[in-house]
Amino acid sequence: MRRSRRERRRERATLRALTSSALALLGAAGKASADTAIDHVESSYSFSTYSEDNLKSSKTIPNGERTRYEVSTQQASIAGPITDWLDVALQVTHEKMSGASPWYVTQDAAGAPIQFMSGATIQDTRNDLSLHANYYTDQGRLGFSGGYSTENDYSAINFGSDGELHFNEKNTTLSGGLGGSFDSINPTQADLYPTRPDHKSKQSYSGFVGLSQVIDRRSIIQGSFTYNLGAGYLSDPYKEVYQVGAPSQYGDFRPNRRHQFSFLVRYNRHIEETESTIHLSYQYYIDTWGISSHMGELAVYQNFGDSFQIAPLIRYYSQTKADFYVDYLRAGQTPPDNMSSDFRLSPYGALSLGAKAEYVFHTPWLRDIEWRTHASVERYLSSGDLSLKSVSVPSPGLVNFTVLSVGITAVF
Amino acid sequence: MSAAPRGLRALALAALFSLTGCASLGWSWDKWWSDVKLPDFPAFDEYTESPKSYVEIALEHDFLVRVKPWERAVLARHDMAFDPDELEAARRSHTFFSKEATMPGGSAGGGGCGCN
Repeated sequence: MRRSRRERRRERATLRALTSSALALLGAAGKASADTAIDHVESSYSFSTYSEDNLKSSKTIPNGERTRYEVSTQQASIAGPITDWLDVALQVTHEKMSGASPWYVTQDAAGAPIQFMSGATIQDTRNDLSLHANYYTDQGRLGFSGGYSTENDYSAINFGSDGELHFNEKNTTLSGGLGGSFDSINPTQADLYPTRPDHKSKQSYSGFVGLSQVIDRRSIIQGSFTYNLGAGYLSDPYKEVYQVGAPSQYGDFRPNRRHQFSFLVRYNRHIEETESTIHLSYQYYIDTWGISSHMGELAVYQNFGDSFQIAPLIRYYSQTKADFYVDYLRAGQTPPDNMSSDFRLSPYGALSLGAKAEYVFHTPWLRDIEWRTHASVERYLSSGDLSLKSVSVPSPGLVNFTVLSVGITAVF
Repeated sequence: MSAAPRGLRALALAALFSLTGCASLGWSWDKWWSDVKLPDFPAFDEYTESPKSYVEIALEHDFLVRVKPWERAVLARHDMAFDPDELEAARRSHTFFSKEATMPGGSAGGGGCGCN
């Protein structure tokens, strides 16, 4: 008797369950977990909109620009096997960005900092392509990746290699990787704004090591350490620093070296009684610009039967300011060598809440494909009050945003 | 009467309660460690008869072999992957990278401006 594709797929899944250690591959081809090459073709598409809240009128100049950034993102991916021990994955992203962006910070009549936005509406698109190939052996995996990202005023090319080694009957996995990114910046309207350079470049070199361990039949833990070196032009060409009484603004000047360190711990546990899976993660980050941050996230994947899932998530983030962060320079103050009014380098805390619904179905009349569809929403709020350390004067440019997303995956 | 430091007392109380509390929920440390056989110390190499280092002992010991291949059904679940949705993970990572000062951990490479 001929078995249906679904039955065969289920058998494959069982077989994979026997051989797979379900460890997350850090950036593995097209799938989040497996230690063998993918055995089917999988393709995904997702559409998302990202929109920032308008700036409050009290945070900007009277009648100033208040609308902010909007991004619509389309992503597509395809992953499949080449041989039993080799698979490849391709991911493309197309983004359309528009809106106004924080330019510099000035002061209101009372001396409180207020945000001045770029008047002109920015229109830009970003295209990103990345390719990942993995070679598998019984003891581990070796992966190579490359990518290219381009915007009107920006292009970046990156390469990387990562790998895994399994120990203890695949209960313990050591992973690691090295990567580099080579970016070129060509700011628009550089002739109109004296603080904007014509052409600049930056490079980043990163490496990570990770260790994951199966704790029992239902839980797994992973720790990783990542280092990144940023070199070259690390400033933001579109930002300026205002000084009270000065005839013109200064440029955004950041050190041309940045060492970044991050420690990430992730823990997953499945609870069979309630058909739910808990994902917990924590990240501590520190860099040589004086910024340190804590990030904690909890997501619960609640299943209702085999085909429906709801996953709420909560994420908390708090960072300290960069040593050279200033909102604006006071009258008569000597401009320091390094300075930036970017809200991203200011001290703040952020809370984001999200939820995702996923529905899985099969089409027996169409090659019995398994379809995974999802819709999700995430709301991000940042402010000085949410910071772990108290912030006396928060940046007026802090952002709140909402992300809506829908997507579909076909498993052949 | 000089009291023990408050922190120490709290720690002792917490330890006591966590043990008894977990036991009342059906948790038992004996059960947790039942499949763990500790090696004899000092351990000697079979052939050279020299004492083994802790590293050698740890490598040979199967304390970290927590599950067998046939017990992996739950671990292989889609929602037990660290990133069940790769596209979503990539998009969120890029968003936080563009709006926060932190770089995302656990990977190497990646690009994009993240200005504006």
